[in-house]
Amino acid sequence: MSVIYELTPAIVLLPLASFALALFFGAWLPRRGAVVGSLATAGTLGLSLATLAWLLLTGEPHNQTWYTLVDADATFDLTFGILIDQLSAAMLVIVSLIAFLVHVFSLGYMNDEGEPGLPRYYAGLGLFTASMLAFVIADNLLMAFIFFELVGLCSYLLIGHWFTEDAPPSAAKKAFLVTRFGDYFFLVGVVGVLVTFGTAGFAGSEGFPVLAEEAIAAGETFFGFGAETWFSVLGLLVLGGALGKSAQFPFHTWLPDAMEGPTPVSALIHAATMVAAGVYLVARMYGFYALLPTVLAIIAFVGGFTALFAATMAVVKDEIKQVLAYSTISQYGYMMLALGAGSYVAAFFHLTTHAVFKALLFLGAGSVIIAMHHDEDMWKMGGLKDEMPVTYVTFLFGSLALAGIFPFSGFWSKDEVLFETLIHALGGSPLLFGAYAMALAAVFLTGFYTIRMVLLTFHGEPRSDTAEDPHGVRWNVKFPLSVLGVLAVIAGGINLVPVEKLSGGSLHVAFLEGYLERDVGLLTHGEHYSELLHDHAGYTSAYVGSEVTTLLLGAGLSLGLALLGAGSAYGLYRGAVPTRHTEKLGGLRTLLMHNYYQDEYQVWLAEGFTVRLSSAADTFDQGVIDGAVNATSSVSLSAGSRLRRIQTGIVTNYAALILLSLLALLVVFAILGGWL
Amino acid sequence: MIAGGLALAPAGAFVLAALALFVIDAFSPGKTSGGVLAGVSAFGAVGALAASGVFLLSGAASGGIELFGGQLVVDGMSLLFTFIFGSVTALVAVASFDYVREMPHRAEYYMLILLAATGMSLMASANSLAVAFVSLELASLPSYALVAYLKGNRGSVEGGLKYFLIGALSSAILVYGISLVYASTGSLLLSDVADAAGEAAATYPGVFGTGVLMIIGGLAFKTASVPFHFWAPDAYEGAPAPVSAFLSSASKAAGFVLAFRILLVGFPIQSVVGAIDWVLVFQILAVLTMTIGNFAAATQERVKRMLAYSSIGHAGYVLIGLAALTGVGGASAGATVLGASMLHLLVYGFMNTGAFLFVALVEHWEIGRTFEDYNGLARQAPLACVAMTVFMFSLAGLPVGGGFVSKYYLFAGAVGAGVWWLALVGAINSALSLYYYSRVVKAMWIEEPIEGRTIAHYPTALYAAVLTAAVVTVFLLPGLVVFDGAAFDAAAALL
Repeated sequence: MSVIYELTPAIVLLPLASFALALFFGAWLPRRGAVVGSLATAGTLGLSLATLAWLLLTGEPHNQTWYTLVDADATFDLTFGILIDQLSAAMLVIVSLIAFLVHVFSLGYMNDEGEPGLPRYYAGLGLFTASMLAFVIADNLLMAFIFFELVGLCSYLLIGHWFTEDAPPSAAKKAFLVTRFGDYFFLVGVVGVLVTFGTAGFAGSEGFPVLAEEAIAAGETFFGFGAETWFSVLGLLVLGGALGKSAQFPFHTWLPDAMEGPTPVSALIHAATMVAAGVYLVARMYGFYALLPTVLAIIAFVGGFTALFAATMAVVKDEIKQVLAYSTISQYGYMMLALGAGSYVAAFFHLTTHAVFKALLFLGAGSVIIAMHHDEDMWKMGGLKDEMPVTYVTFLFGSLALAGIFPFSGFWSKDEVLFETLIHALGGSPLLFGAYAMALAAVFLTGFYTIRMVLLTFHGEPRSDTAEDPHGVRWNVKFPLSVLGVLAVIAGGINLVPVEKLSGGSLHVAFLEGYLERDVGLLTHGEHYSELLHDHAGYTSAYVGSEVTTLLLGAGLSLGLALLGAGSAYGLYRGAVPTRHTEKLGGLRTLLMHNYYQDEYQVWLAEGFTVRLSSAADTFDQGVIDGAVNATSSVSLSAGSRLRRIQTGIVTNYAALILLSLLALLVVFAILGGWL
Repeated sequence: MIAGGLALAPAGAFVLAALALFVIDAFSPGKTSGGVLAGVSAFGAVGALAASGVFLLSGAASGGIELFGGQLVVDGMSLLFTFIFGSVTALVAVASFDYVREMPHRAEYYMLILLAATGMSLMASANSLAVAFVSLELASLPSYALVAYLKGNRGSVEGGLKYFLIGALSSAILVYGISLVYASTGSLLLSDVADAAGEAAATYPGVFGTGVLMIIGGLAFKTASVPFHFWAPDAYEGAPAPVSAFLSSASKAAGFVLAFRILLVGFPIQSVVGAIDWVLVFQILAVLTMTIGNFAAATQERVKRMLAYSSIGHAGYVLIGLAALTGVGGASAGATVLGASMLHLLVYGFMNTGAFLFVALVEHWEIGRTFEDYNGLARQAPLACVAMTVFMFSLAGLPVGGGFVSKYYLFAGAVGAGVWWLALVGAINSALSLYYYSRVVKAMWIEEPIEGRTIAHYPTALYAAVLTAAVVTVFLLPGLVVFDGAAFDAAAALL
């Protein structure tokens, strides 16, 4: 084992140490824990980059059990372990980069603004980062579940940071409960996987995806179900957790509310990492999902639908963070669509670029919010571009990336998602056309709401006093914005598949694809997944005309729609004093502003259904169960007090009782022994 | 292998300490400092503990050393139990320093404890019925005097007298039983009795069976098993609390070790089953003892009396060790359940002693005896209350102390030996016991403190003893492994 892998635990332990330090000694630390947190995440970033570089150079992965929780003879062991392959190495870099930048940004957003409870805040960030990183390097589903839950706990703590106000605690509870609802299925799925395979390991020939492949090939049956049916059940159960965390329909309702948390938190957990955990989980065990065409179709449809559905709601929002919240849900829909449509590489590509530009947008929004003295209504902004040029330029880059405009990073990744979906749809999976159409419609809406947001925030005349004289921001805000701004422009360069194809394969610029497809002996590489998808899910590629024609057609279509959306927004909201157009939507606007009454029906589910069920259960518990328990205890106590009465305190009675009992025993055993 | 006389070093340590006290106190009777008395006693007890521990864990006496023509035997079981007696005696001696500080006849008090401990360690080694009877009396007679030690206290004297009268009756039953066995087998030496048992059971089943049953009765008195338990609540409640601790932990264990040896060595079940199925006798006794002990404990108002009944209940759990020797599951199942009994007595030696010593602490503070009097005590004495909480939960079998492991072994062993219903009764009783044990915990931690109660000072020696017992109890949760090999080997050697 090389030195770098001996250091892997430190990737998790550094932020964990910063959590402990901030928690116990935060009040005495420089900048209340921000410095320690930044240093820890910087160290983590360094180690992650070194790990990635090592894997790139040597191609030597790492898959080892680190600690055995339960060492069982008969059933299965419960273990913690570390898995470093292409996916986790790259994810480590993304998570630690964003975590580092968010720590720096927090100096400006939290410390400079004199917010209360800073040690608690930095402790939360540290624990969150540590849990997320541990989730990323988990080598089995159980460990992944445990840290998945810890990530959920941290998001609860961080969203509810300003717990003295009304909205944040309520939003925190909602986020916790909705994701917990999904995790409930996940937990059942974990147990199911352990019982079915006797292991929950992700990688290698001993991992459960490979065992599942063999079981399907051997035509085994489980609990009376065929292997594929049973695995689909397991896959859907685990998917419940992934949909909850990645805020996919119908579990998306928690994410917009979670914007009540501090904005850097939104950037870290609701844009770049925690929400990514769901998508990452599906990608992590993609070798399992690739065997299950039904589950893949469900994933693709949920993803495509969520992409469109969330985008429609983003169109009418007035608060800058709400627009970003819905766009996040929508973008994760694209990633799910890519996974469901059999494009593992495109999904991870979009995850990467999205992490960059969405973190950028949230931090940019944070910068605007600082300037606006914590007013988030876009109708009170306007004209900020001259006052805060760095924020404006970087925010614009992020927006163009989000809208999918050439040549910003989002264009490349979104285009690849759509292209892969299209060719698989053409290649004999016509169901995917539906998902493709929804995703394509969402491209138009994305262009629209993104440009609307930029125009309302930065262009035109200032529409309030604070917008005329905004609060300045310091280096600790501008530095993360600049880093992310540059990355948002160039991150697409890691995987220029269309360029490679247009060049007829002579230019090798699809770096990410090559990286993820390389076989390092763990059976978690893209090549293996493609084979599985081909053999089990029947995904094949077909083209309109030639490959290049299809490519140009698809790219042109999506770029055209994005530009059309952006252009319409520009037409409607340009000028010094833009007007509100949403009223024109009439009843549709009401529907959109109420988010399709999703919250209402979930509240009804909670109050009308769950509460009633609970009170019925309560009645049963109080009456029947407690009644039985109380009856048992009163019988016991009365029997006890009768027994007490034998103990008269008179010693002659004792002697008599002893002798009588002895005699009774003698008679019984005399009869039994046959000597009477 | 150790040389003959040296094998008795643990018992010798008790005797020497007792004699040393006799000499020391002779210089100025009644005026010797309490520190010297407690120190010498604790030193003797720790000596016995150390000697038996070293012999046991080094395996020096594996295979058994017979002394005085087979009258005494030193083997794994006798050493394990001497270890228990040594630790209980040491804790009690240290705790008594504060408890009897102001009282007369302290030297006699410590001497009686040490002589009783000597009797107990001889009971552990007794290999003939005559030695068994004599050593049992050596343990019992000092105990009667110890219970009545508080001469001015009505409860103490009454408890002592009842203990003595019932003890005399039980001794009579025991010695009569011994005489019947001698009459039918012609020997008092256990190995010879065993050789002749098969023939005796066939020829004189009535005489032999009555004899065995009466011996069991005599031993049940010592272990405070139903129906020979009547003395126990009164004696434990009346006695000074350290003496209650001593009797309910060490004396009970002594009764059990004697029962194990006499029944397993002297009356092998396969040869005597025709005349008397003593496994069935113990099944009856175990169920009765567990149930009556726990049910009666649940309705007590005074903590010490509750502990007295709970101690009867625990005797019932230990009886499973004999009641489960059905032969189902082979020798290993038998060794497991019997070894589990021994381990339970070992853990019990710490957790029960500690609980009674906590009561001694409360008596020392003179703040009352009922559950209500304990209300809110944790505010004033948090450390001692943490220790008491550990004792209570460990006695109930929760995994905070060794009580969990030993009870687990017991019930698992019973299931393995095919008497799952005994384990079921045990589990139900354990669940009930949680109720009354947690009443103490609730009173200490949750109830509002009593107004105007003040605790003037915190006696160092009592605290040291209580906390040591608590630490050992917790340590035995992971640490019981140190002893379990020795206990299962000792059990296997008997079967």
